[in-house]
Amino acid sequence: MEAKANSASKCSCRVFEFLESSIGKKIMVAAAGLLLCGFLITHLLGNLLMFVGGDAFNKYAEALEHNPLLPIAEIGLVALFVVHIILAYRATYLNRAARPEGYQVYKGKGARTPGSRTMAITGTLVLAFVIIHVATFKYDVGGFKGMAGEEGLFAHVLGWFANPWYAAFYVLAVGGVGLHLSHGVQSAIQTFGLNHPRYTPLIKKAGLAFAGLIFLGFASFPVYFGFIKNCMSCAGGAH
Amino acid sequence: MKLESKAPTGPIEKSWDKHRFDLKLVNPANKRKFKILVVGTGLAGSAAAASCAELGYQVESFCIQDSARRAHSIAAQGGVNAAKNYPNDGDSIWRLFYDTVKGGDFRAREANVYRLAQVSNAIIDQCVAQGVPFAREYGGTLSNRSFGGAQVSRTFYARGQTGQQLLLGAYSALMRQVGAGAVKLHTRREMLDLVVIDGVARGIIVRDLVTGKLERHMGDAVLLCTGGYSNVFYLSTNANTCNVTATWRAYKRGAAFANPCYTQIHPTCVPVTGEYQSKLTLMSESLRNDGRVWVPKKKGDDRKPQNIPEDERDYYLERKYPAFGNLVPRDIASRAAKQMTDDGRGVGKTGLSVYLDFKDAIARVGLDKVKEKYGNLFDMYHHITDENPYEQPMRIYPAVHYTMGGLWVDYNLMTTVPGLFCLGEANFSDHGANRLGASALMQGLADGYFVLPYTIGGYLTGTKLPKVTTDHKAFVEAEGDVNARTKSLLGANGKKAPSSFHRDLGHIMWDKVGMGRNAKGLQEALSKIPEVRAEFWKNVSVVGVGEDFNQTLERAGRVADFLEFGELLAKDALTREESCGGHFREEHQTPDGEAKRDDEKFAHVAAWEYKGEGKAAERHTEPLTFDNVHIAQRNYA
Amino acid sequence: MNITLKVWRQKNASEAGALVEYTVSGVVPEMSFLEMLDTLNEQLVAKGQDPVAFDSDCREGICGMCDLMIDGQAHGPDKGATTCQLHMRRYKDGAVVTVEPFRAKAFPVVKDLCVDRSAFDRIQQAGGFVSINTGNAVDGNAILIPHDKAEKAMDAAACIGCGACVAACPNASAMLFVAAKVSQYALLPQGQPEREKRVLAMRDAMDNEGFGHCTNEYECEAACPKEIKVSNIARLNREYLRATLVTE
Repeated sequence: MEAKANSASKCSCRVFEFLESSIGKKIMVAAAGLLLCGFLITHLLGNLLMFVGGDAFNKYAEALEHNPLLPIAEIGLVALFVVHIILAYRATYLNRAARPEGYQVYKGKGARTPGSRTMAITGTLVLAFVIIHVATFKYDVGGFKGMAGEEGLFAHVLGWFANPWYAAFYVLAVGGVGLHLSHGVQSAIQTFGLNHPRYTPLIKKAGLAFAGLIFLGFASFPVYFGFIKNCMSCAGGAH
Repeated sequence: MKLESKAPTGPIEKSWDKHRFDLKLVNPANKRKFKILVVGTGLAGSAAAASCAELGYQVESFCIQDSARRAHSIAAQGGVNAAKNYPNDGDSIWRLFYDTVKGGDFRAREANVYRLAQVSNAIIDQCVAQGVPFAREYGGTLSNRSFGGAQVSRTFYARGQTGQQLLLGAYSALMRQVGAGAVKLHTRREMLDLVVIDGVARGIIVRDLVTGKLERHMGDAVLLCTGGYSNVFYLSTNANTCNVTATWRAYKRGAAFANPCYTQIHPTCVPVTGEYQSKLTLMSESLRNDGRVWVPKKKGDDRKPQNIPEDERDYYLERKYPAFGNLVPRDIASRAAKQMTDDGRGVGKTGLSVYLDFKDAIARVGLDKVKEKYGNLFDMYHHITDENPYEQPMRIYPAVHYTMGGLWVDYNLMTTVPGLFCLGEANFSDHGANRLGASALMQGLADGYFVLPYTIGGYLTGTKLPKVTTDHKAFVEAEGDVNARTKSLLGANGKKAPSSFHRDLGHIMWDKVGMGRNAKGLQEALSKIPEVRAEFWKNVSVVGVGEDFNQTLERAGRVADFLEFGELLAKDALTREESCGGHFREEHQTPDGEAKRDDEKFAHVAAWEYKGEGKAAERHTEPLTFDNVHIAQRNYA
Repeated sequence: MNITLKVWRQKNASEAGALVEYTVSGVVPEMSFLEMLDTLNEQLVAKGQDPVAFDSDCREGICGMCDLMIDGQAHGPDKGATTCQLHMRRYKDGAVVTVEPFRAKAFPVVKDLCVDRSAFDRIQQAGGFVSINTGNAVDGNAILIPHDKAEKAMDAAACIGCGACVAACPNASAMLFVAAKVSQYALLPQGQPEREKRVLAMRDAMDNEGFGHCTNEYECEAACPKEIKVSNIARLNREYLRATLVTE
């Protein structure tokens, strides 16, 4: 009995030690981050149905909502976010503490990228966006928006995108996601310990390409449905 | 003072084994009752401290830098010798012994050198086991190269950073013992005096360089592993903090100083560019394996090296020494370079350098192979001179690099003060008048890993050491002496920084006591050095206070000691009326300009005894006999 | 030429410091940066002022004693070089140069530009060694090591422990230093018996010293005078993960 309890406490102690260790923390942040990338892909693919048509998109949304596994997936997703965010913030806090007195002049030797410099900022921006995004699209905070000639979630989404401020914020936020990923993907792979003179340059390029695609993909919705389509219909109306 | 070498008699192959057997052992349980103070954390110091701690002694280790890993052994580049005979080219312990005695120009103690050759193989094994990444062949075996005058490939190396890797190996062993609590490490400490009680070394006075406070440390034995004194020349390849202070203070407390005039000039250094220069940079002489040394045949030829055709170049080492060519021993290569520049055929802006050309090597083995072998040396040269050695020949010139002289020690590495041991470059023992390339690392590690840990036991069991504390009057007095000295340095209130006196001393030493020495020059040096010293005490400016982090004060103390020591060096050089190894007296040379020994009169070690302030030091001699290596004139032609 | 220096002056660890401006005259292009500081100090001493404390020893880029953050760059603007290898030909007459100590919580300032890097020693004490007593070794050729493995180990072992990686890292992380040591031993057969124990202990010691986390900014690699690669950090991550998973 006692031995069992001991090993259990030893085990939980080990988990805690791993999470609190500088390397363990980063590995967890990286793992959660990469899994979140998987979520981004499925989310993007689902959203792309908007270009197929309102019907297709609404059907997909409904099917998803009625899937009994959804709550489990959602809990998992929230857990990933929580792990990623809390550990990343904790690391950032400790990193600041590791240099209490900063440099008067700090230039570096050019290794940092715009993405790497701004991880905390883009991360915070994305967090804010996710909260607003979930609040507006999932919990209808701010009311149900509609769009003439459309129904369901599709109308709701289009309604929000019709607000140029909201659409602009959406573009900015997914820009933040892109910037975050431009560093995050290759960084996560390095943190897992994968580095090879032949593959690492490819991984870095693939990470950038992925970040670009995610940005372009998500930005396409507000840009198209919020600005281009609206302008087209404006222009059409005037005609 | 009697110089008793305690070297065993009988067949030399058995002498170390027999000696070890004769040494009394310390009971394992008693070892922890003995405290050993180790000053310096270079190869000898780190190795000795770690090995003694592994045996169970209490060890305290002191270093002048902020970390034990920074000792100047780290800068040794070329390699470490051992008689493994892996390349199957005819090497053996006997041959390494023979080469070292001969290379040292028959001025070393045979028994010591034999022991050095004997333990050399264990050093390689030990270092490999510590994880030192020696160069390897594709089959996974250790690589060897021929180095500095050896006709066999017995040098093991880790790129151009062998000293660094060996030191980091010894440092890791030391850190392991520090982590285990067996060694107490004191960094940023400078030893300023030795404490002798009833004629036996029992402690040291050190200055904490951060707080400036003096500390007393008591021990049952004191090990000085404090390196050489090349910086007496101001410009040398030694690190800034390398100094003679620890050994000089020990000398003043009764340890005889042996052969101070044996200094080694290294032929392949980056040439001097100006007065402000703080040090010279050595490039491993392994460069001479593939580089060819030359000067223009014509005096004052100021064409670019690339534009000087083959037949107008004088590959003077290959010409003068066809058998050894560019691989002649250091002293010969250095003097030959000086002859060329004296002859007006030197190159570069100052005319004080010669070319070292890799064009042929690159053509022969390819750029990549040359890069792999010498990449870091080439980069270092490029950094310093802004000239690309892959495109134009390097320029090199000799510089002081190593000092064979040091505290006199017996076969047990003990000085003339019982309980005071001296290891590595700081002692005089194994290299005679000239050290062979890649033998300094070997000696430092041999002393630290495989000699001292045995011999110290013999001393500790054989000696009755009364209990003393640091309140003993000898400690109080020594500390008082150090304080008084600090006070006079601070109180001089002069105008000139200590470094400028150091530079003045350096000029005298290099001009008069450098590569070529003669009676007239040495006498001049002997009259000039006291003048600089007097001026120093009158006009030195040390800003700040003693009880503080004060780098000017540190420097001033070291310069003050060099100013005393330089005189002893010159005196030793003047007294040794012969040329041998690194000591070249112009009056004593063969018709073709080679060193001419006088074995009749000078086949001995000269050890100087301090007789008190203002009194002349007394010269003692330890005769050297050569029963195993036939004494002969060195001949590299 | 004349150089204007803004140098960090700080009396000791407990007092606050500030940048102080000095002009150094008589600087020549062949001087090293440290020789320029020597010149400054000689000029200060001649005026009876307290010279600037800075660390240096071998002055040939191998001992790792010199440090300095020069215009916001560890060891100055050159790649693959230490401060002592930086030459004044890099600067023009009248240049203004800011010189600060390496900064990290784990590297407290001792005085002016000198910092205490003993944290590195303590990390090494935790596991940066092979536990082999003197005399225990087998023949050097008893265990064969492939050429490339030995070379890779040497690449990592080239670390001089100067702390530039920490100084340059936006997070003051010591990962490159630790990675270099862990890699050297992980690559060599001699390091295998203590492979897991070592990485766990050294990671622990590193964190306890208060260094930051690695966020893969790679400024360490760019600043490293020995150009040690961040692939070693990947290996350290791997080794740590592996050790965490396999040790009982």
